Amino acid sequence: MNDAIRVNNLTKVFGPADSGVVAVDHISFDVRRGEVFGFLGPNGAGKTTTQRMLTTLLEPTEGSIIIHGHDLARDAYPVKRQMGLVPEESNVYTELTAWENLMFTGRLYRVSRAERTERAQHLLETFGLWEKRDVKAENYSKGMRRRLSIAMAIIHRPALLFLDEPTPGLDVQSARAIRDLIRQLNAEGTTIFLTTHQIEEANQLCDRVAIIKQGRIAAVDTPERLKAAFRRVQSVEVGLEPTAAQVSENSRASWAGVPGVTTAVKWGDKWRLYTEDPSVLLPQVLDHARANGLKVISLSTLGPSLEDVFLEITGQQVGAVRHETPPQPRQRGMKGGMGGKR
Amino acid sequence: MKLRGLQRVGDELAQAWIIVAKDIRVHYLRPGMIMFGFLMPFFMFFSFSVRRAMAAEQGVARLLALTTFFTAAAAGPFIIPLERRLGTYDRLLAAPMSLLTLLLSKTAVGAVFAMAVSAVSLLVGLIVFRVTIAQPWLLAAGAVLSSFSFSALGLIFGSIPTRNPGDVQMPSTLLRWGLLFISGVFVPLAEMSTGARLLAFVSPLTYAQDLMNHAVLGAAMLNPWLDLAVLLASGILCLLPPVWMHRRSRQLGY
Repeated sequence: MNDAIRVNNLTKVFGPADSGVVAVDHISFDVRRGEVFGFLGPNGAGKTTTQRMLTTLLEPTEGSIIIHGHDLARDAYPVKRQMGLVPEESNVYTELTAWENLMFTGRLYRVSRAERTERAQHLLETFGLWEKRDVKAENYSKGMRRRLSIAMAIIHRPALLFLDEPTPGLDVQSARAIRDLIRQLNAEGTTIFLTTHQIEEANQLCDRVAIIKQGRIAAVDTPERLKAAFRRVQSVEVGLEPTAAQVSENSRASWAGVPGVTTAVKWGDKWRLYTEDPSVLLPQVLDHARANGLKVISLSTLGPSLEDVFLEITGQQVGAVRHETPPQPRQRGMKGGMGGKR
Repeated sequence: MKLRGLQRVGDELAQAWIIVAKDIRVHYLRPGMIMFGFLMPFFMFFSFSVRRAMAAEQGVARLLALTTFFTAAAAGPFIIPLERRLGTYDRLLAAPMSLLTLLLSKTAVGAVFAMAVSAVSLLVGLIVFRVTIAQPWLLAAGAVLSSFSFSALGLIFGSIPTRNPGDVQMPSTLLRWGLLFISGVFVPLAEMSTGARLLAFVSPLTYAQDLMNHAVLGAAMLNPWLDLAVLLASGILCLLPPVWMHRRSRQLGY
């Protein structure tokens, strides 16, 4: 069997089956042994709910999960032994030192004394925590706790590691160290299930990604193939002097008529101009503004947001919906279902 | 196959002890545990015992029942919702062990705390009030079984699907106070009306108090074997709702 995870028709409904909130809606996918599999989606899409079902913390309403050949509903014990879990919030014991946290987890997973001692030292050195091993975790920074949380999840050398949003909120060095570690673990043979809403992180790390939206899988593919779709939804955002920004439908048509613009969308007090090549469009935008007496006060290029990618993948034209109140695709929003992060 | 089964049992027992040892380090000195588990029974005792004619032995028997009851039942409602909120409970739920092992370990956390606090009460009785213990083995068995039973009772509240200890403390404290007043702790069983006595027999605390009376005073109203059997049975019965409630929590996503 080549699959680490095989999910079939997985469904989670919070509340009554007929009238409850459908958080995950009949999804199916496979994760191959030894791959880094990204699970992408906006907040409230069902990522964490799915991951909690895969890690036995949440009972599915319907469907099956087979991990390393074991049906999770019937035979979770051997799966749990081979599994490591890093939740979004670092769940270390702040009253214990890093060393004590690792020893506790090692004992809990029945790692022998010699191995857990050797392994704990190796992990603490790898994560740059060795010097602070006897300091209580309550005195650690967010990045240090994150690294300790990951170390605790892998002290028993799991064959399958679940990582939920491992890098948001971390400084550049910590985030890079964690990405390097994910690559290293994967190189050593660990299958990684990475839940994230950061496209670039998935792009850097994942062999394949699944995109989930409103509880349904929208696409499963390699990042390169998805990036081909991303290129069509790059954009240039232009902010104008307030007087000039009092726009009418004519100006929408006007912006849409600039060469290279595929769609023009009013985005708050700015215009977002979608294009396949922002570098070509930028001078065109300045020319257009100059010709129409508009004063540009800000100009920036934007990579595709996950929402853009998702819309593209599902065949909906970006900008087809004219947002009066633009969504915030890159910011954390209200959670959707009960399975969202708390 | 049999060896593997034995290995699994050994592993689960070791895991239960590892969790108990960790919880002792992490939770026993938290203000909530000191307040509800350590200070509360002494406050209750002094509130209802000061300036009342009572033999030292009687006072110690009452204090022992109170400390095992209040302290053991305080742990579950405090620790589990707190761990849910901190996310550390997920670490335990995802670990390779059965739910029963986890619940037994959490029961043991409360029971060990209660036995330690009861030992303090006993030492005070022995050293300060020069009390003699009529039946030490009954005292030991009573302390262990009472602590187990009351800790399992507290676990029912700890298993309520919530991440806020405050949501659980209120109903758990209400029940504990209610049981305290119907259980023959402050009004001896022999002095109760028939109706009140019938109500008292519903509460496991009644049997714990009766057992402590046997152990310290050397005399009580019920058969000590009945007291032991009821405490053991109530402890086991009290573990059933938490199993169901944890399964329910797994459906709800807590």
